Amino acid sequence: MNDRGIARDRRPENRKGSTAARNSLKKTIAVLIPAVFAQAAGNVFLSMKMKEIGSAHFLALLGRALESPALWIGTALLIVSFILFAAALSWADLSLVVPAVSIEVVVNVIFADYFLQEVISLTRWMGVVLISAGIILVLRSERQKAARATEEILRSEDR
Amino acid sequence: MALIVLADSAGDVFLTRGMKQVGEIATLNPRALLAIGKKTLLNRSFLAGIFFMAVTFFSFLTVLSLADLSLVFPAKSMVYVASPLGAKWLLKETISSERWVGIVLVCLGVALVSIP
Repeated sequence: MNDRGIARDRRPENRKGSTAARNSLKKTIAVLIPAVFAQAAGNVFLSMKMKEIGSAHFLALLGRALESPALWIGTALLIVSFILFAAALSWADLSLVVPAVSIEVVVNVIFADYFLQEVISLTRWMGVVLISAGIILVLRSERQKAARATEEILRSEDR
Repeated sequence: MALIVLADSAGDVFLTRGMKQVGEIATLNPRALLAIGKKTLLNRSFLAGIFFMAVTFFSFLTVLSLADLSLVFPAKSMVYVASPLGAKWLLKETISSERWVGIVLVCLGVALVSIP
């Protein structure tokens, strides 16, 4: 087979390898986004209700908490979020998933600002910017890792 | 405080190991998902992960009664560095320098956000 023939043979493989890696990242993000929103919404439900109940004796608090649908909804949302998080870990790296879900801190700040009308300090907004920059770098590193894996497959085919 | 960070990242590491043993979830079939759920709940690493998360939760409550909130919350952000370290050493994940920079930025950001 001549050189061009090999090159033509290789191309579909190349496309297949990188598509698989990219799809895996897409799948991870698709599962983690609802996980993050369920977590943030769960926290809003919980903290809304807990503030309404206020500080009381722990047991009295627990009794009133169990009667409240908002707390049940909040807890259910947190459980859903955990299941999605664990599901993502069944295929994705922990070192990708942990920084990726830190977006929940950003979403929590924005939800607290919007739904709970808390005052967010400048330091907090700066933290939000740092987290976002960090997540962009981590996601970029995952895409490069996928590209490198594809390259390696090609190189092993050359041999 | 160190216990919280350690237990939290140990929880992450065990959870990941458990889920990797269960295998990639690549189906949306309810019956297959139920089987995966059952297999997961029987997985020892997964259960160890849950155990460490419970340890984290209760030691967190204890620390809250001992220390100042303004110290506890920022210190908790160390988990964002400790978990990837555990992933590198125990789960043999390869972490590029670009990813490390991102992880450190996330950690600093979380610390800033959690300063009350």
